[in-house]
Amino acid sequence: MSFAEYLGQRWSDILVLGIQHAQVVLIAVGIATVIGITMAVVVEHHPLARRTALTLTGTMLTIPSFALFGLLIPVFSLGAPPAIAALVLYAIFPILRNAVTGLESVPADVVDAARGMGLSRRGLLLTVRVPLAWPVVLNGIRIATIMSVGIAAIGAAVAGPGLGRLIFDGLARMGGANALNDTLAGLLGVAVLALILDLGFVLISRLTTPRGIRV
Amino acid sequence: MTVSSIEPSPNPTVPASTTVRPPRRLRHLSLADVIVTPAVLLAVLAALMVYLNSRELDDIEQRSINWPTISRLLVEHIQLVAVSSLLVIAIAVPTGVLLTRPALRHASGPILALANLGQAVPSIGVLVLLAVTVGTGFRMAIIALVLVAFLSVLRNTIVGLMGVDRALIDAARGMGLTKTRVLFLVELPLSVPVMLAGIRVALILNVGNAALASYTNAGGLGTLIQAGIALNRMPVLITGCVLAAVLALTLDWLAGVVERVVRPRGL
Repeated sequence: MSFAEYLGQRWSDILVLGIQHAQVVLIAVGIATVIGITMAVVVEHHPLARRTALTLTGTMLTIPSFALFGLLIPVFSLGAPPAIAALVLYAIFPILRNAVTGLESVPADVVDAARGMGLSRRGLLLTVRVPLAWPVVLNGIRIATIMSVGIAAIGAAVAGPGLGRLIFDGLARMGGANALNDTLAGLLGVAVLALILDLGFVLISRLTTPRGIRV
Repeated sequence: MTVSSIEPSPNPTVPASTTVRPPRRLRHLSLADVIVTPAVLLAVLAALMVYLNSRELDDIEQRSINWPTISRLLVEHIQLVAVSSLLVIAIAVPTGVLLTRPALRHASGPILALANLGQAVPSIGVLVLLAVTVGTGFRMAIIALVLVAFLSVLRNTIVGLMGVDRALIDAARGMGLTKTRVLFLVELPLSVPVMLAGIRVALILNVGNAALASYTNAGGLGTLIQAGIALNRMPVLITGCVLAAVLALTLDWLAGVVERVVRPRGL
């Protein structure tokens, strides 16, 4: 069966796996965003805490993904939970790093002016600093998402949902009729999903960047 | 990987008049950098030993958790990482140099874009695709690892070389250096930090992806993880995961130390 015929026959299955894949990634990145931005706000006045947080979350990225997925099996057993938990652990670092950088890069005189106008620390954070830092923060979330799309493919090794299933199906059927088609569909599906999400972020960035700092 | 970019800010309490300072390449290494990571990793290994000793291992577990098996898998894993990383450096650095020479410079933009796109391709997909189309085993795994990690070194080599100040190259040319000597005496040394960062990323990618090579019969510590999942034996799974993680962190730590030591003086 040619790849085109295969796609014609299996497109609905592939689409379902693609949607599951996107769900796992977006849930994980959503959780990581909340954790990452909260951490950035908490550690911003404590240089030592900031360095420790960045070092620890950065170290996560060094741990082989297969090993991290595996280590979470005793905690979450098999399926979507260990896959999501592993992706959260990976996604925190880029989000935290960009949130820290973004908040730091807000010009000091802007902060002074806002304080002079009588804004409280919270008002300053919510109405001035976060909006000004937003493009950098959003880029961190984008990087975390694209990275997670690729790593999530390995989630199929711990029975997680998503396009990785097709790749492992291909491996299991090695030498069989659809081995190559399965693998190609999984591999290209992941790449296409990454592109779609990347384009989504371009759109979100257009829509959510405050007018005053739009390029 | 990216942790290396978080340098401690210069200590403001040290008076600027301090005259006796250690050589710069040693000042990059603080005591904490050298000691903390190995100490933590040894503690993790000790915890693994305690955990394994506290359990009565059944037949299946004993077949995987014994020193000859583990050391064989560890050596296989290190071989996969070493061969693939050396190949990546040997291929990607010269390619990056070629792509930044005036004749080919216009091609580097599209290739950087392609390199970014290539990151979206999952490593397990590349491994399996090669296994399905060409074959399995050590060599195929090496090819897959090289394909996946190649782009990060290539990209950083191009970015590093492009980032060298044109004025410095002009000055070196003005001093009578040939183009080749400018490359080796000015451009490459100045781009070493960026190139090393890319090589470190490639090394970490290779350790991680080598853990997946067991799926294509190329061995490595992934064998334990895979067996642990398939046989539902947590001690086997945990041993494989912890050893793979410790190996990755050890290599990253070593790479970080090397990165700081070989960084050219003056940068």
